[in-house]
Parts: sequence; structure tokens; C-alpha cells
Amino acid sequence: MDPDGRWRNLPSGPTLKHLTDPLYGIPQEQQKPALQELTRAHVESFNYAVREGLSHAVQAIPPFEFAFKDERISLTIVDAVISPPTVPKGSICKDLSIYPAECRGRRSTYRGKLTADISWSVNGIPKGIIKQFLGYVPIMVKSKLCNLYSLPPRALIEHHEEAEEMGGYFIINGIEKVIRMLIMPRRNFPIALTRPKWKTRGPGYTQYGVSMHCVRDEHSAVNMNLHYLENGTVMLNFIYRKELFFLPLGFALKALVSFSDYQIFQELIKGKEDDSFFRNSVSQMLRIVTEEGCSTQKQVLNYLGERFRVKLNLPDWYPDAQAAEFLFNQCICIHLKSNTEKFYVLCLMTRKLFALAKGECMEENPDSLVNQEVLTPGQLFLMFLKEKMEAWLVSIKIALDKKAQKTDVSINTDNLMKIFNLGTDLTKPFEYLLATGNLRSKTGLGFLQDSGLCVVADKLNFIRYLSHFRCVHRGADFAKMRTTTVRRLLPESWGFLCPVHTPDGEPCGLMNHLTATCEVVTQFAYTASVPALLCSLGVTPVDGALHRPYSECYPVLLDGVMVGWVDKELAPSIADSLRHFKVLREKRIPPWMEVALIPMTGKPSLYPGLFLFTTPCRLVRPVQNLELGREELIGTMEQIFMNIAIFEDEVFAGVTTHQELFPHSLLSVIANFIPFSDHNQSPRNMYQCQMGKQTMGFPLLTYRDRSDNKLYRLQTPQSPLVRPYMYDYYDMDNYPIGTNAIVAVISYTGYDMEDAMIVNKASWERGFAHGSVYKSEFIDLSEKIKQGDDSLVFGVKPGDPRIVQKLDNDGLPFIGAQLQYGDPYYSYLNLNTGESFVMYYKSKENCIVDNIKVCSNDTGSGKFKCICITMRVPRNPTIGDKFASRHGQKGILSRLWPAEDMPFTESGMVPDILFNPHGFPSRMTIGMLIESMAGKSAALHGLCHDATPFIFSEENSALEYFGEMLKAAGYNFYGTERLYSGISGVELEADIFIGVVYYQRLRHMVSDKFQVRTTGARDKVTNQPIGGRNVQGGIRFGEMERDALLAHGTSFLLHDRLFNCSDRSVAHVCVKCGSLLSPLLEKPPPSWSAMRNRKYNCTLCNRTDTIDTVSVPYVFRYFVAELAAMNIKVKLDVI
Amino acid sequence: MWGLTVDTQKDAKPSKQQPMTFIYRKCLTENEIISRDPIRCRECQYRIMYRKRTKTGGF
Repeated sequence: MDPDGRWRNLPSGPTLKHLTDPLYGIPQEQQKPALQELTRAHVESFNYAVREGLSHAVQAIPPFEFAFKDERISLTIVDAVISPPTVPKGSICKDLSIYPAECRGRRSTYRGKLTADISWSVNGIPKGIIKQFLGYVPIMVKSKLCNLYSLPPRALIEHHEEAEEMGGYFIINGIEKVIRMLIMPRRNFPIALTRPKWKTRGPGYTQYGVSMHCVRDEHSAVNMNLHYLENGTVMLNFIYRKELFFLPLGFALKALVSFSDYQIFQELIKGKEDDSFFRNSVSQMLRIVTEEGCSTQKQVLNYLGERFRVKLNLPDWYPDAQAAEFLFNQCICIHLKSNTEKFYVLCLMTRKLFALAKGECMEENPDSLVNQEVLTPGQLFLMFLKEKMEAWLVSIKIALDKKAQKTDVSINTDNLMKIFNLGTDLTKPFEYLLATGNLRSKTGLGFLQDSGLCVVADKLNFIRYLSHFRCVHRGADFAKMRTTTVRRLLPESWGFLCPVHTPDGEPCGLMNHLTATCEVVTQFAYTASVPALLCSLGVTPVDGALHRPYSECYPVLLDGVMVGWVDKELAPSIADSLRHFKVLREKRIPPWMEVALIPMTGKPSLYPGLFLFTTPCRLVRPVQNLELGREELIGTMEQIFMNIAIFEDEVFAGVTTHQELFPHSLLSVIANFIPFSDHNQSPRNMYQCQMGKQTMGFPLLTYRDRSDNKLYRLQTPQSPLVRPYMYDYYDMDNYPIGTNAIVAVISYTGYDMEDAMIVNKASWERGFAHGSVYKSEFIDLSEKIKQGDDSLVFGVKPGDPRIVQKLDNDGLPFIGAQLQYGDPYYSYLNLNTGESFVMYYKSKENCIVDNIKVCSNDTGSGKFKCICITMRVPRNPTIGDKFASRHGQKGILSRLWPAEDMPFTESGMVPDILFNPHGFPSRMTIGMLIESMAGKSAALHGLCHDATPFIFSEENSALEYFGEMLKAAGYNFYGTERLYSGISGVELEADIFIGVVYYQRLRHMVSDKFQVRTTGARDKVTNQPIGGRNVQGGIRFGEMERDALLAHGTSFLLHDRLFNCSDRSVAHVCVKCGSLLSPLLEKPPPSWSAMRNRKYNCTLCNRTDTIDTVSVPYVFRYFVAELAAMNIKVKLDVI
Repeated sequence: MWGLTVDTQKDAKPSKQQPMTFIYRKCLTENEIISRDPIRCRECQYRIMYRKRTKTGGF
């Protein structure tokens, strides 16, 4: 991680020059760092997970011991390696490695082999190590294990990738999947909380608690709570295998260290030596332990082990004390290695808890970014991998027991290797996790949710694709919550989460996006030298003697380890020098360290202390350190105690220590692409952030190699004339999403009411906003095989009349052929029987066969069975298609207006789009007006204008700047022109505002949405018309529509809609008994066979003269039959 | 890329019973594949091939 200078050489302004650069389109030596940065959190966290993380995880898996035939067998995973994706052994292949493009094209999974070294011992005697294949695990694209790692653009293109491929996703069955970043509680930091719900946890419980999310180096996490009880004692609460356990704190403290009760007492009351209540409470807690007969550490361990071992599933030969130690290793402060460290941290938490309960400190906000970090993809991957490896060990025991039941198994290497092959494969669970996003886990991995962990990285356009990697979700559970507190935009998230880029509606505030500058720490730091450094700076170690009373000292925590105490007066200077070292990279202080000094204020504020963090998964962002003149990464917790100026004139000497790198550093990548967003009303910018993601654009450059179900493509994209320089920084010209259009703000024909817009037909004919949809379909004949018959193959029967020139000899359509409804689509043969089958094209929309891929299998031995037909559906704008400018101004194309009837300017210019002026007053998108003027002047002068927010102000107004520029080109200062009516040729009285605006075409198109029905399919049971667009169904005429017709008194129409056009039926009813069910058709005598007479007979009354017919809805008859089944009689009064 | 090679349609005709197809990989080698052959490029052993664009066909 090298934060310095990343934001130094930003482009000074946007330019169109590099499009005309002779080097444009030629692969560079190196990939551009800007785009790579966006997915770095994903890629690097994965890199850590599969290298260091994996070896940490392997070490953290406790040896699995079990008894087998009076022998103690122990299995330990000593090492595990994941290999890069390669073809399986025995395949015929030159290049053994598999590249992602193949997996996308063939819809396979990009995965590598996981092999583990398993050492086994019998009765404690090591017997050897077995290398075992555990399964295939998905590999993240562009990670260190990926075959694309560090390839230059040219090589990437050779492997059918984008030149600027950023990776960060997995490929599961050809679909790109991203593991979502989720908000997690900040690791290894005690958070003071009040939760009224805690009162129900047991008698005496209060709402006060201190919670800690303990996370180890290999990311396994356990939550731990301290509860305050009314009688002043404290309960320790933890979760083991999804079960809650409570333990009085005294037991935990005494079990951890062999200190005397007096020492424990002294440690707990530090800083509150004079508080008699607190002293009493502490001694009370220690007394409880003694009352249970536990006075030494050993006794406590035995006591706890005896009680907990039923839940721990440990082998019988473990003594109780060892069981208790196992419990402490797995559940209590697991981020700490030694028990003494755990003891000190528990003491600190207890002091914090008492301070909270007595109102001496404020509770912390768990919804604030200060107390949060994110879950990185690597973290989830590693946690899941670790759990599944543990499960594998258990599955070995089960397999062994099973086998032992049938035959007599002796434990030797050969047998064990056979048993190992019976263990549960890891391939399936991993693919399931990534394919569905559902977590199937025994422990739950310490998460609140078990679904929605992965999303598809949709390549609708590049902006949408990119935002998947910058998205941070609060967690699925919060979506159901009634309260809005979790959704609130808090000032603490300034600079880390974008205030604009969140969807409105249901996920509002839960789904946030990182700002462009925000980074996620992915590396671990070497911190062993930090405590010594702190001590040299003046921190007294925990076991040292202080000169000042503890109440005047700050506790010092480094990554959740209690380092010592520091004098109140000394603390700020220590924090300053740490910051100094951090910025200047001295004394091995990592640049991503967070130095948060929470000061004592004398009021009930946040619990004071000097908190240092170097752990990964935290959010950090670069700001300028004014004192040292360098960039510094700051974290969320330290930010709230810092003075950061935005502009130069906000810098106050002695107060301001930092300055933002640029004023728009609070915006996300996508919000940064909005031109003049500071001139818009803020919801409009939110709308644009959403609409930018629904735009048809040019999402990728490798259409040929993709087999996505649906890909959109804008045929005539352009580079915007007005854009923020961030557009150039991210090189968005490679993936444009719109077209520059001449827009006249005029109410012209009446076809532009209510956000409708008129498009010049001539522009349309020249290709304005033309687009197409690429649809791919996989046809795998091996799925059609019945009874293991392996003889289906594509092909045609010679001279088949159904095909005539429509299909080639291989049974596939010609490339470039146009397909219509009912055309032969493909044909295949059964080589054994000689039968041929022809399938027909079943979509109503015409398409063109773009390309056909023929796919083999992993080993390269697949027959001519699996193909992927990619069809191109032309989708040029039609009436009803949706368009939007970049300012949240969306509209529907209402009419393609002939160019000769369009208004024109004095110079003969005819606008492409007519935009209704009523769109402006209520929406206040001044940015769009400025863009229009800027675009016009850019076009006139051959420039490309910078639309970065916050460069214009009241004093330096945008109107002035662009107005002067228009004036210089001989146009009106305000961007207006005289227009002539295209219909009458008369000059229009009003000046018309006309300029150039970049327009986006949204993916919502009528062709995907229209739904009509005259007659068609009906429901089997109710006989009513069915719903659903793809089955030619109708649209429901519901209660509210019914109410409208009722209110209008149009009863004939109502009757027509709800009865005649729905399920009208004629039923026979017996007038006498009123039953719909009793009239049955009598068996006609043979003499009637020539006639069409029908005679009904009431089976109840045994009469035929009482039968009459009534028109009733068919469902009613069904309803009567259902009621009859419940023994309820329905009697009709037929008058 | 699609059109760099000569149209070899004529060579395909002789075999009657087993229809032959010309399928391409991006290494630009042409592959003749009989319906029972494994799908694999002769040159690079790549496992995806593309159907060739031909001038025949009813369009």
C-alpha cells in the first residue's frame, strides 16, 4: 500500500485529446492504477486469505481427536495449498492453465485445487503425513492465484480479457459473482451499548453492556458481551456454536490468571479507587467465586471444565481443566494470545461497563461508522474455508465409523487414504455459497445474516459494474427493521461513504458506496515493536507502577491489547509523535495505523483512552497533513477528533491540522461523474446515481468471448463534451454511456407533457441512441439424453423439408442469419436411431445470429454437444423508451418528430431532443442548464469543459464563465436563441434555451414491457385469463379499478370486464332445491343419438322440470364445489 | 478475424454421411470436425471454437 502520490497527478482537466492520440487503442505497457484501485480491497484481501491467511487458519484448526477401537486417533491439518486453475490431469492440452475468459465462455467455474497435508497419529505417536485433495475452490480473478495476475494489457487481450481488467470477482458457472462488503462491528474494540432488550436476558439484567467483536488474524470472529446486573455484578456472555452462554465475570477472571484476589481487585478498581460502590461490587463478584469453593485458578478451571464439557464435544480423555482452557481459547477474547492479556482487556471492559452504567461515559453508537469496519471478500472466503476444513475432519471420523461397521478396518496409511477420499468434498459448498449467496454454516461465522452475501457483477454498463465493488451493505437484517436509525446519514461517515450514492426507497441508507478516495486496509502490520516504542515515548506498561493516580491516565490499547497507561498531559504529544512516525514511515509504524485519542472532558463523553489500530478491514482515506505536507491515511475513529479543512481559506493556524485532497472527495466514483453536481438539488444527484446504473452503454470490449444471458450495447456512444476530470482519471472513454444531443428547452407540440420528450426523426435515422441486446443461449444436448444414451449430436437429416436452407449441415443456423418466430433454430440427430429433431425459434422478436460457440468439457474431450448461440436483437429507440440526462431528469420518448417539422434556429440548426421547460422549476437541476450552456460553448470552441463540482461559486459564477464564452462565439450570453416554428416557419416569440446535453439511454424499453391480450390461455382451475407477460396473459383488473368503474356508474362496462371477458359460464341449477351441484346430465336414450337434446336431472329432487340455466362466474361453481367438500351447502334463490 | 481464411467449403462436400463443419478458434486455425470428434483446437487445444461465417445460407 503506497498512498503517497496516488492523488497527486490528477489530470488538470478533461480533454478529448487522447481520443485522437495516435496511441489510442494500442495496449499500454502497464495497466492504469486508477481502475485497479477500485477493486483492490477485494483482490488484496483474497490474496491475503489464500496465502498467509490460509496458513494461519490451518494452524488455528485444533487437532481433531477421536477414539477408534480403544485407540486415540488424532488428525491435524499441517498445511494447505490452493493451486491456480488448471485443467485436470489427463487432458490433452498445450497450456495447462485455465483462463477466466474460457470459464465465462463455457459457463464453467474458475477454480483451483485445494490440497492439504494431513498428519495423523495414533495414541500420540505421529504416523506420517498424507497429501489429500479436498476439493476445488473458486479463485478470484486477478488475484495472486489467478493466471492473469500481473499480466500487462497486451497479454490480457491475448487471453480475451479487457485491457484494463480489474478482477475482484469469482466466476461461478460462467457468471461473475462479487462477495459483498458488509458492515461489521469494529474488531477488538470494546463498544459500550445500551439495549433495552438485554433486560429480558435474565433476572437482574440491565440494558447496559459492553460488547466486543473479537477477530483473530485468520479472521475467525467471536462476539463477546459483558452485562451489567442490577446488583452491581457483571456477567460475561459469549456464543459457541450458535448457543448463548453466560458466565459470571469473577470466574472468567480467576480462570485466566493465577493472581491473588487482591491483585484482581486492584486491577479492576484502577481509576476508581475511591468509589465505594464499585469496590463493593468487585469484591462481591470475587466472593461468588469463592463461595462455589474455587479459590485457586486450577479449581476454577476444573469447575468450569466440568460444567462446559458437555457442550464442547471434546474427547473423553481430556481433563476438565483442559476443557476449560479450550473454551477460553475458542470463545473469550480470541484475538489475544496470552491469558494475561485477556485478563487485562476484560478488566478494562469491566471498568468501561461500570462507567457506562453509572452515567460517567456515553454509550457508543453501533450504527456509526466510527465503531464499524467492513467484511472483505477474503475474510468471508477464509472463514468459510476454515470451517469447511474442520467439517471435513469430522466427516472423516463419520466415514471411518461407517466403514468399521461393515468391515474390519485397521488404521494404516493405505486405509486412511481410502477413507480420506470419502470425506465431504469442499467443491459443492463453495460453489453454493458463491452462486446463491447463502451461507450454510454450523457456526454462522459470527454473522447476523446467512443470505445475500454475494451478488452478480452485472455488466449492464461499466458504471454499474464498477459500483458493485464499491458497495458497502449494512446487512440484510436491517432491511426489515422498522426504525430508521440504521439508515441515517451520520456526519462521521464524511469522506468514507458517499452521501449521494445510495438508492432511494427500500434499501435507502443501508446500501452505501465508498467514496472515490476511501480505501479498505487489507494488510496486516508487524506490531511487535510498537509496545516498546510506546514505552519509550512515555507509556507505563500494564504491570508497571504509575506516578499519577489512574484516574488521571488514559489506558492505551493497541489492536485490542492493553499496552499500558499514559499520563493525561503526555497523551496528546504521544499521539502526535505516533502520527508523525506514521506519516513519515518511521519506526515501523504502518501508514494505515489509526491513532485515536479520545480525550477526557470531565463530562460524560466517550470513554477516554488512546486507541491504536493497525488491523485490516478498516476504512481509511487519504487527507493532506498540513504540518508535514504529505498525504496521511486517516480512519473513521480518529477523524472525529481531527480538524480537517476543505478549502484553503478554512485553514486556521493552530487548529486545522489537515486538509481534504480535493473538495469533491466526499463523493463516490459515480457521484463524481455527475457534471456540476453542486448546482443540483441533492435528490436529483441521487437519482442520477441510480439511473447511471441503468443506462445502456458499452460495458465491455470483448463481446465475442462472452456468453452472458443478456448484454446491452449502445451502437453510437460518444465522449461527453462536458465532464468532471474524474471521468478522465478513470478513463471512462473506454466505456462510454451516452450521446451528446442538441437539446432545446421548449414546449412545442404537446407531445412533451409530463416528462415526455420528442426526438428528431432525422437524428434517429442517423443512429441517435441506437442499441442492441445480445442474448446468449446454451444448448447442451447431454441434458436431453434419456437412459444414458450418448448418441445425440448436432446435425441435420439430409433433405429434411423442415429445414430447407435455414440451417447448415451441422444443424446450426448460419452466422448472420435473421431469425423470426417459427424459424428452425437448431437441429440434432440421434446417431443410434437416425432420428432427427428440429427446434424452432420461439421468441416473437426478430434477431440476428451473432456468433455460435462450440464448447468442449474440462478435459477437452467433449463431443459436438454443447453450443452457445449468441443472438443480437436490434433495439433502436421506439416510442416509450426511456432516456435521461445526467441530472436525474428522465423522460419517455413520446414521438419521433420529422426533422422538417422541428423548430430550427437562425443558423438552421435543428435540435435532437425537445425537452419540456416544466421539467426545471420544481426539480431545480441548475446543473443541467449549466451543462447545456457549457456543452454549447464546448462544441462551438472545440473544447472539453471541466464540470467538476465546487469550482464555480457565487463570486465566480458558471453563468458568467460560459455566458462570456458563448458571447465570444457570437451567441446569446444566456444560451438562448431565436427559433422558428418548423410547421409554420414563423419566428417564435420566446427566446429558446438551446444547448448540448449528454443524454443516456436507459435499459427500460417498451419491447421488454408491452403486454396485450385479446384471447388466450386461461387458468385451469378458475377458468379466468392468466397473468404474466411471457405467457401472453392479461393485466389484472383489480379492486381499485373496479371501484373506479363503480364510482363512474358504468355498470355495463364493469359487467363486461369482470364477467363476460373473464370467466362467464352457463350453469344448470335446480330451482327447487337451489343447488348448483345436483343437476346432472341424464344418459340419453339411444333413440336420441341423432338429436342434440340434452336433459338434466336434479339428483336430489329427482325432477327434470325444475332445472334452469344461470350465468355465473366459473370460479363460483368451483367455490361451491369446494364448500361442498367441507360439508357446506350453497343454496341459490333463483327467481 | 472472421474472414481471414480462405473459404474451404468445397473440401467439405465430399464426405456425405458425416457432415463436416469448419470451426474456428481465435488462434485462427481452421479445424475440421466430424460429429463424433472431440471439440478441441488442433493447434492450441483450446476448448471453445467458433462457427465460421459462410457465404451460403438463405439470407
